[in-house]
Amino acid sequence: MKSLICEMLGIEYPIFQGAMAWIANASLAAAVSEAGGLGIIAGGTAPMELIRGEVRKAKEITSKPIGVNIMLLSPHADEMAKMVCEEGIKVVTTGAGTPGKYMEMWKANDIKVIPVVPSVAIAKRMVRSGADAVIAEGTEAGGHVGELTTMVLVPQIVDAVEVPVIAAGGIGDGRGMAAALMLGADAIQVGTRFLTAYECTIHDNYKKKVLNAKDIDTVVTGRRTGHPVRVIKNKLSRGFQELDLNIAPPGEYEKLGAGALARAVLEGDMEYGSIMAGQIAAIINKEESCKDIIMDLMTEANKLLNRDWN
Amino acid sequence: MDLNKVKELVAEQLGVEIADLKPETSLKNDLSADSLDLFQIIMSLEEEFGIEIPTEDTENINTIGDIEAYLEKRKA
Repeated sequence: MKSLICEMLGIEYPIFQGAMAWIANASLAAAVSEAGGLGIIAGGTAPMELIRGEVRKAKEITSKPIGVNIMLLSPHADEMAKMVCEEGIKVVTTGAGTPGKYMEMWKANDIKVIPVVPSVAIAKRMVRSGADAVIAEGTEAGGHVGELTTMVLVPQIVDAVEVPVIAAGGIGDGRGMAAALMLGADAIQVGTRFLTAYECTIHDNYKKKVLNAKDIDTVVTGRRTGHPVRVIKNKLSRGFQELDLNIAPPGEYEKLGAGALARAVLEGDMEYGSIMAGQIAAIINKEESCKDIIMDLMTEANKLLNRDWN
Repeated sequence: MDLNKVKELVAEQLGVEIADLKPETSLKNDLSADSLDLFQIIMSLEEEFGIEIPTEDTENINTIGDIEAYLEKRKA
Protein backbone atom coordinates (compact mmCIF):
# COMPACT_ATOMS: atom_id res chain seq x y z
CA MET A 1 0.00 0.00 0.00
CA LYS A 2 1.96 3.01 -1.23
CA SER A 3 0.62 6.40 -0.34
CA LEU A 4 1.37 9.87 -1.70
CA ILE A 5 1.23 11.19 1.83
CA CYS A 6 3.94 8.78 2.97
CA GLU A 7 6.22 10.02 0.21
CA MET A 8 5.37 13.66 0.82
CA LEU A 9 6.11 13.46 4.53
CA GLY A 10 8.72 10.73 4.65
CA ILE A 11 6.69 8.45 6.91
CA GLU A 12 6.28 4.70 6.72
CA TYR A 13 2.55 4.17 7.22
CA PRO A 14 -0.33 6.43 6.09
CA ILE A 15 -1.61 6.92 9.62
CA PHE A 16 -1.80 10.27 11.41
CA GLN A 17 -2.46 10.47 15.12
CA GLY A 18 -5.20 13.03 15.70
CA ALA A 19 -4.18 16.24 17.42
CA MET A 20 -6.15 16.09 20.64
CA ALA A 21 -5.67 19.18 22.80
CA TRP A 22 -4.14 18.49 26.25
CA ILE A 23 -3.71 14.84 25.19
CA ALA A 24 -1.45 14.69 22.14
CA ASN A 25 1.83 15.55 23.87
CA ALA A 26 5.45 14.54 23.27
CA SER A 27 4.94 11.08 24.75
CA LEU A 28 2.07 10.11 22.45
CA ALA A 29 3.23 11.88 19.28
CA ALA A 30 6.80 10.58 19.50
CA ALA A 31 5.58 7.01 20.05
CA VAL A 32 3.36 7.19 16.97
CA SER A 33 6.10 8.68 14.82
CA GLU A 34 8.65 6.19 16.08
CA ALA A 35 6.24 3.39 15.10
CA GLY A 36 6.10 4.72 11.54
CA GLY A 37 2.96 6.87 11.58
CA LEU A 38 2.77 10.63 11.93
CA GLY A 39 2.60 11.77 15.53
CA ILE A 40 1.11 15.22 15.94
CA ILE A 41 1.53 17.44 18.98
CA ALA A 42 -1.62 19.42 19.69
CA GLY A 43 -1.19 23.13 20.32
CA GLY A 44 -4.75 23.69 21.51
CA THR A 45 -4.94 26.93 23.45
CA ALA A 46 -1.77 26.19 25.44
CA PRO A 47 0.98 28.81 25.81
CA MET A 48 3.55 28.61 23.03
CA GLU A 49 6.59 27.83 25.22
CA LEU A 50 4.81 24.81 26.69
CA ILE A 51 4.28 23.37 23.22
CA ARG A 52 7.84 24.22 22.19
CA GLY A 53 8.95 22.14 25.17
CA GLU A 54 6.80 19.22 23.97
CA VAL A 55 8.28 19.48 20.47
CA ARG A 56 11.82 19.34 21.86
CA LYS A 57 10.96 16.42 24.15
CA ALA A 58 9.45 14.51 21.22
CA LYS A 59 12.56 15.08 19.15
CA GLU A 60 14.66 13.53 21.89
CA ILE A 61 12.54 10.39 21.71
CA THR A 62 12.42 10.04 17.91
CA SER A 63 14.28 11.37 14.91
CA LYS A 64 11.32 10.63 12.61
CA PRO A 65 8.99 13.38 11.36
CA ILE A 66 6.64 14.92 13.92
CA GLY A 67 3.74 17.24 13.18
CA VAL A 68 2.26 20.10 15.18
CA ASN A 69 -1.40 21.09 15.11
CA ILE A 70 -2.17 24.77 15.43
CA MET A 71 -5.62 25.73 16.60
CA LEU A 72 -6.11 28.97 14.72
CA LEU A 73 -8.59 30.41 17.23
CA SER A 74 -5.97 30.14 19.97
CA PRO A 75 -4.69 33.47 21.32
CA HIS A 76 -1.20 32.00 20.84
CA ALA A 77 -1.64 31.04 17.18
CA ASP A 78 0.76 33.71 15.87
CA GLU A 79 3.61 32.68 18.21
CA MET A 80 2.90 29.03 17.54
CA ALA A 81 3.12 29.62 13.78
CA LYS A 82 6.61 31.09 14.22
CA MET A 83 7.70 28.45 16.71
CA VAL A 84 7.17 25.57 14.26
CA CYS A 85 9.52 27.30 11.83
CA GLU A 86 12.14 27.85 14.52
CA GLU A 87 11.97 24.23 15.67
CA GLY A 88 12.33 22.80 12.19
CA ILE A 89 8.90 21.14 12.11
CA LYS A 90 8.04 19.98 8.58
CA VAL A 91 4.31 19.19 8.91
CA VAL A 92 1.64 21.43 10.34
CA THR A 93 -2.04 20.57 10.57
CA THR A 94 -4.50 23.33 11.37
CA GLY A 95 -7.97 23.53 12.85
CA ALA A 96 -10.70 26.08 13.52
CA GLY A 97 -10.02 28.58 10.77
CA THR A 98 -8.01 29.30 7.66
CA PRO A 99 -4.20 29.45 7.90
CA GLY A 100 -3.83 31.76 4.88
CA LYS A 101 -1.84 34.44 6.65
CA TYR A 102 0.89 31.99 7.75
CA MET A 103 1.13 30.18 4.44
CA GLU A 104 3.99 32.21 2.98
CA MET A 105 6.16 31.86 6.08
CA TRP A 106 5.51 28.12 6.33
CA LYS A 107 6.21 27.50 2.66
CA ALA A 108 9.45 29.43 2.96
CA ASN A 109 10.40 27.03 5.76
CA ASP A 110 9.53 23.98 3.67
CA ILE A 111 6.60 23.06 5.90
CA LYS A 112 3.75 20.96 4.52
CA VAL A 113 0.42 22.49 5.52
CA ILE A 114 -2.54 20.20 6.08
CA PRO A 115 -5.78 21.80 7.34
CA VAL A 116 -8.66 19.87 8.86
CA VAL A 117 -11.79 20.59 6.79
CA PRO A 118 -15.47 19.88 7.43
CA SER A 119 -16.93 20.74 4.00
CA VAL A 120 -16.19 20.79 0.26
CA ALA A 121 -16.23 24.61 0.03
CA ILE A 122 -13.69 24.99 2.82
CA ALA A 123 -11.49 22.21 1.37
CA LYS A 124 -11.39 24.01 -1.98
CA ARG A 125 -10.53 27.30 -0.31
CA MET A 126 -7.68 25.76 1.66
CA VAL A 127 -6.20 24.19 -1.43
CA ARG A 128 -6.47 27.48 -3.28
CA SER A 129 -4.51 29.20 -0.53
CA GLY A 130 -1.77 26.55 -0.74
CA ALA A 131 -2.65 23.53 1.39
CA ASP A 132 -0.54 20.47 0.49
CA ALA A 133 -3.25 18.03 1.56
CA VAL A 134 -6.45 18.18 3.60
CA ILE A 135 -7.86 16.15 6.46
CA ALA A 136 -11.54 15.47 5.80
CA GLU A 137 -13.00 14.95 9.26
CA GLY A 138 -16.48 13.58 9.72
CA THR A 139 -18.77 14.18 12.65
CA GLU A 140 -18.01 10.72 14.09
CA ALA A 141 -14.80 12.22 15.46
CA GLY A 142 -14.31 13.30 19.04
CA GLY A 143 -13.84 16.90 20.09
CA HIS A 144 -14.77 19.75 17.74
CA VAL A 145 -16.79 18.38 14.85
CA GLY A 146 -18.70 19.34 11.73
CA GLU A 147 -22.04 18.01 10.57
CA LEU A 148 -21.21 15.61 7.72
CA THR A 149 -20.20 12.00 8.23
CA THR A 150 -16.87 10.62 7.09
CA MET A 151 -18.68 8.30 4.68
CA VAL A 152 -20.18 11.19 2.69
CA LEU A 153 -17.53 13.85 3.23
CA VAL A 154 -14.44 11.95 2.10
CA PRO A 155 -15.49 11.00 -1.45
CA GLN A 156 -16.86 14.49 -2.11
CA ILE A 157 -13.65 16.17 -1.01
CA VAL A 158 -11.58 13.63 -2.95
CA ASP A 159 -13.55 14.64 -6.06
CA ALA A 160 -13.26 18.37 -5.34
CA VAL A 161 -9.52 18.80 -4.77
CA GLU A 162 -6.33 17.71 -6.52
CA VAL A 163 -4.29 17.18 -3.34
CA PRO A 164 -4.19 14.01 -1.21
CA VAL A 165 -7.00 13.60 1.31
CA ILE A 166 -6.61 12.15 4.79
CA ALA A 167 -9.84 10.67 6.17
CA ALA A 168 -10.68 11.22 9.84
CA GLY A 169 -13.61 10.54 12.12
CA GLY A 170 -14.84 7.11 13.11
CA ILE A 171 -11.76 5.17 12.04
CA GLY A 172 -10.56 2.86 14.78
CA ASP A 173 -9.46 -0.38 13.16
CA GLY A 174 -8.27 -1.89 9.89
CA ARG A 175 -11.81 -2.20 8.58
CA GLY A 176 -12.36 1.53 8.97
CA MET A 177 -8.98 2.20 7.42
CA ALA A 178 -9.70 0.01 4.40
CA ALA A 179 -13.09 1.67 3.98
CA ALA A 180 -11.55 5.14 4.09
CA LEU A 181 -9.01 4.19 1.43
CA MET A 182 -11.87 2.77 -0.68
CA LEU A 183 -13.58 6.15 -0.43
CA GLY A 184 -10.54 7.69 -2.07
CA ALA A 185 -8.53 8.78 0.93
CA ASP A 186 -4.76 8.50 0.71
CA ALA A 187 -4.22 8.19 4.45
CA ILE A 188 -6.19 8.16 7.69
CA GLN A 189 -6.14 10.07 10.95
CA VAL A 190 -6.94 8.22 14.15
CA GLY A 191 -7.55 9.90 17.48
CA THR A 192 -9.77 7.94 19.83
CA ARG A 193 -7.97 4.59 19.39
CA PHE A 194 -4.76 6.22 20.65
CA LEU A 195 -6.44 7.42 23.86
CA THR A 196 -5.87 4.03 25.45
CA ALA A 197 -2.30 3.62 24.17
CA TYR A 198 0.30 2.98 26.89
CA GLU A 199 2.15 6.08 25.74
CA CYS A 200 -0.93 8.27 26.08
CA THR A 201 -0.57 10.06 29.41
CA ILE A 202 -4.21 10.93 30.14
CA HIS A 203 -5.71 10.07 33.53
CA ASP A 204 -6.61 6.39 34.06
CA ASN A 205 -10.25 7.33 34.66
CA TYR A 206 -10.37 8.78 31.13
CA LYS A 207 -8.92 5.59 29.66
CA LYS A 208 -11.44 3.48 31.58
CA LYS A 209 -14.29 5.62 30.23
CA VAL A 210 -13.11 5.01 26.68
CA LEU A 211 -12.63 1.28 27.29
CA ASN A 212 -16.15 1.00 28.72
CA ALA A 213 -17.89 3.24 26.18
CA LYS A 214 -20.74 1.71 24.18
CA ASP A 215 -21.98 2.67 20.71
CA ILE A 216 -24.47 5.28 21.92
CA ASP A 217 -22.36 6.82 24.66
CA THR A 218 -21.15 9.98 22.92
CA VAL A 219 -23.13 13.12 22.27
CA VAL A 220 -22.48 16.45 20.56
CA THR A 221 -22.92 19.46 22.80
CA GLY A 222 -22.81 23.12 21.92
CA ARG A 223 -24.33 23.00 18.43
CA ARG A 224 -26.61 25.85 19.45
CA THR A 225 -23.72 28.21 20.18
CA GLY A 226 -21.74 27.21 17.10
CA HIS A 227 -19.08 25.20 18.96
CA PRO A 228 -20.15 21.60 18.54
CA VAL A 229 -18.01 19.17 20.54
CA ARG A 230 -18.37 15.39 20.76
CA VAL A 231 -17.87 13.97 24.24
CA ILE A 232 -18.74 10.90 26.28
CA LYS A 233 -22.00 11.62 28.12
CA ASN A 234 -21.73 12.75 31.72
CA LYS A 235 -22.99 15.46 34.06
CA LEU A 236 -21.17 18.12 32.05
CA SER A 237 -22.78 17.12 28.76
CA ARG A 238 -26.19 17.01 30.43
CA GLY A 239 -25.48 20.48 31.79
CA PHE A 240 -24.87 21.73 28.27
CA GLN A 241 -28.09 20.11 27.11
CA GLU A 242 -29.98 21.89 29.87
CA LEU A 243 -28.50 25.20 28.76
CA ASP A 244 -29.76 24.41 25.24
CA LEU A 245 -33.27 23.81 26.58
CA ASN A 246 -33.18 27.05 28.56
CA ILE A 247 -31.84 28.98 25.58
CA ALA A 248 -29.08 30.24 27.87
CA PRO A 249 -26.72 33.03 26.77
CA PRO A 250 -23.27 32.03 25.41
CA GLY A 251 -21.58 33.18 28.64
CA GLU A 252 -23.28 30.34 30.55
CA TYR A 253 -21.77 27.78 28.20
CA GLU A 254 -18.31 29.27 28.64
CA LYS A 255 -18.67 29.19 32.41
CA LEU A 256 -19.69 25.53 32.41
CA GLY A 257 -17.04 24.53 29.87
CA ALA A 258 -14.05 26.49 31.18
CA GLY A 259 -11.15 24.18 31.95
CA ALA A 260 -13.36 21.11 31.50
CA LEU A 261 -11.01 19.24 29.16
CA ALA A 262 -8.04 19.71 31.48
CA ARG A 263 -10.22 18.51 34.38
CA ALA A 264 -10.87 15.25 32.53
CA VAL A 265 -7.37 14.72 31.14
CA LEU A 266 -5.26 15.71 34.15
CA GLU A 267 -7.51 15.23 37.18
CA GLY A 268 -9.67 12.40 35.87
CA ASP A 269 -12.88 14.24 36.72
CA MET A 270 -15.43 12.09 34.90
CA GLU A 271 -18.46 14.01 36.15
CA TYR A 272 -17.74 17.57 35.14
CA GLY A 273 -14.70 17.03 32.93
CA SER A 274 -15.01 17.08 29.15
CA ILE A 275 -14.34 13.50 28.02
CA MET A 276 -13.73 14.07 24.34
CA ALA A 277 -13.91 10.87 22.29
CA GLY A 278 -15.25 9.73 18.95
CA GLN A 279 -18.17 7.41 18.27
CA ILE A 280 -15.74 4.57 17.55
CA ALA A 281 -14.73 4.51 21.24
CA ALA A 282 -17.04 1.52 21.65
CA ILE A 283 -14.81 -0.84 19.66
CA ILE A 284 -11.76 -0.07 21.76
CA ASN A 285 -11.40 -2.65 24.49
CA LYS A 286 -7.76 -2.83 25.50
CA GLU A 287 -4.67 -0.83 26.26
CA GLU A 288 -1.73 -1.39 23.94
CA SER A 289 1.33 0.32 22.53
CA CYS A 290 1.15 2.81 19.65
CA LYS A 291 3.23 0.40 17.62
CA ASP A 292 0.73 -2.42 18.16
CA ILE A 293 -2.14 -0.12 17.22
CA ILE A 294 -0.47 0.92 13.98
CA MET A 295 0.52 -2.62 13.06
CA ASP A 296 -2.99 -3.87 13.81
CA LEU A 297 -4.51 -1.18 11.55
CA MET A 298 -2.06 -1.91 8.74
CA THR A 299 -2.33 -5.70 8.93
CA GLU A 300 -6.11 -5.75 8.96
CA ALA A 301 -6.49 -3.11 6.25
CA ASN A 302 -3.97 -4.84 3.99
CA LYS A 303 -5.72 -8.16 4.43
CA LEU A 304 -9.07 -6.63 3.50
CA LEU A 305 -7.79 -4.61 0.57
CA ASN A 306 -5.97 -7.59 -0.91
CA ARG A 307 -8.83 -9.97 -0.39
CA ASP A 308 -10.30 -11.63 -3.47
CA TRP A 309 -13.74 -10.02 -3.42
CA ASN A 310 -15.09 -12.43 -6.06
CA MET B 1 -22.69 43.29 -11.45
CA ASP B 2 -26.24 42.48 -10.37
CA LEU B 3 -26.48 42.93 -6.63
CA ASN B 4 -29.93 41.33 -6.56
CA LYS B 5 -28.04 38.11 -7.04
CA VAL B 6 -26.60 38.48 -3.53
CA LYS B 7 -29.96 38.04 -1.84
CA GLU B 8 -30.83 35.25 -4.21
CA LEU B 9 -27.67 33.33 -3.31
CA VAL B 10 -28.07 33.88 0.42
CA ALA B 11 -31.74 32.93 0.34
CA GLU B 12 -30.98 29.76 -1.55
CA GLN B 13 -28.10 28.69 0.67
CA LEU B 14 -29.90 29.32 3.95
CA GLY B 15 -33.42 28.44 2.87
CA VAL B 16 -34.97 31.80 3.69
CA GLU B 17 -37.25 34.20 1.75
CA ILE B 18 -35.62 36.91 -0.35
CA ALA B 19 -38.26 39.35 0.95
CA ASP B 20 -36.96 38.86 4.51
CA LEU B 21 -33.42 39.92 3.62
CA LYS B 22 -32.73 43.52 4.56
CA PRO B 23 -29.37 45.30 4.34
CA GLU B 24 -29.01 45.04 8.11
CA THR B 25 -29.88 41.33 8.26
CA SER B 26 -27.00 39.49 9.95
CA LEU B 27 -26.18 36.12 8.42
CA LYS B 28 -25.04 34.68 11.73
CA ASN B 29 -27.36 36.30 14.26
CA ASP B 30 -30.58 36.61 12.26
CA LEU B 31 -30.27 33.67 9.90
CA SER B 32 -28.31 31.25 12.13
CA ALA B 33 -25.64 30.69 9.50
CA ASP B 34 -22.64 28.74 10.80
CA SER B 35 -19.08 29.05 9.51
CA LEU B 36 -19.72 26.29 6.96
CA ASP B 37 -22.71 28.18 5.55
CA LEU B 38 -20.69 31.40 5.43
CA PHE B 39 -17.89 29.81 3.40
CA GLN B 40 -20.44 28.21 1.11
CA ILE B 41 -21.96 31.64 0.49
CA ILE B 42 -18.53 33.19 -0.10
CA MET B 43 -17.75 30.44 -2.62
CA SER B 44 -21.05 31.04 -4.45
CA LEU B 45 -20.36 34.78 -4.55
CA GLU B 46 -16.92 34.11 -6.01
CA GLU B 47 -18.40 31.93 -8.71
CA GLU B 48 -21.27 34.29 -9.46
CA PHE B 49 -19.18 37.44 -9.66
CA GLY B 50 -15.99 35.91 -11.01
CA ILE B 51 -13.76 37.23 -8.21
CA GLU B 52 -11.60 35.74 -5.47
CA ILE B 53 -12.48 36.85 -1.96
CA PRO B 54 -9.48 36.48 0.40
CA THR B 55 -10.33 34.99 3.78
CA GLU B 56 -9.10 38.12 5.58
CA ASP B 57 -11.83 40.07 3.79
CA THR B 58 -14.55 37.70 4.91
CA GLU B 59 -13.94 38.54 8.56
CA ASN B 60 -15.68 41.90 8.14
CA ILE B 61 -18.68 40.54 6.32
CA ASN B 62 -21.62 40.13 8.68
CA THR B 63 -24.73 41.46 6.98
CA ILE B 64 -26.35 41.49 3.56
CA GLY B 65 -25.36 45.16 3.35
CA ASP B 66 -21.73 44.25 4.09
CA ILE B 67 -21.69 41.82 1.19
CA GLU B 68 -23.18 44.40 -1.19
CA ALA B 69 -20.78 47.11 -0.05
CA TYR B 70 -17.84 44.75 -0.41
CA LEU B 71 -18.82 43.77 -3.93
CA GLU B 72 -19.35 47.43 -4.88
CA LYS B 73 -15.87 48.20 -3.60
CA ARG B 74 -14.34 45.32 -5.52
CA LYS B 75 -16.14 46.45 -8.67
CA ALA B 76 -14.76 49.99 -8.34
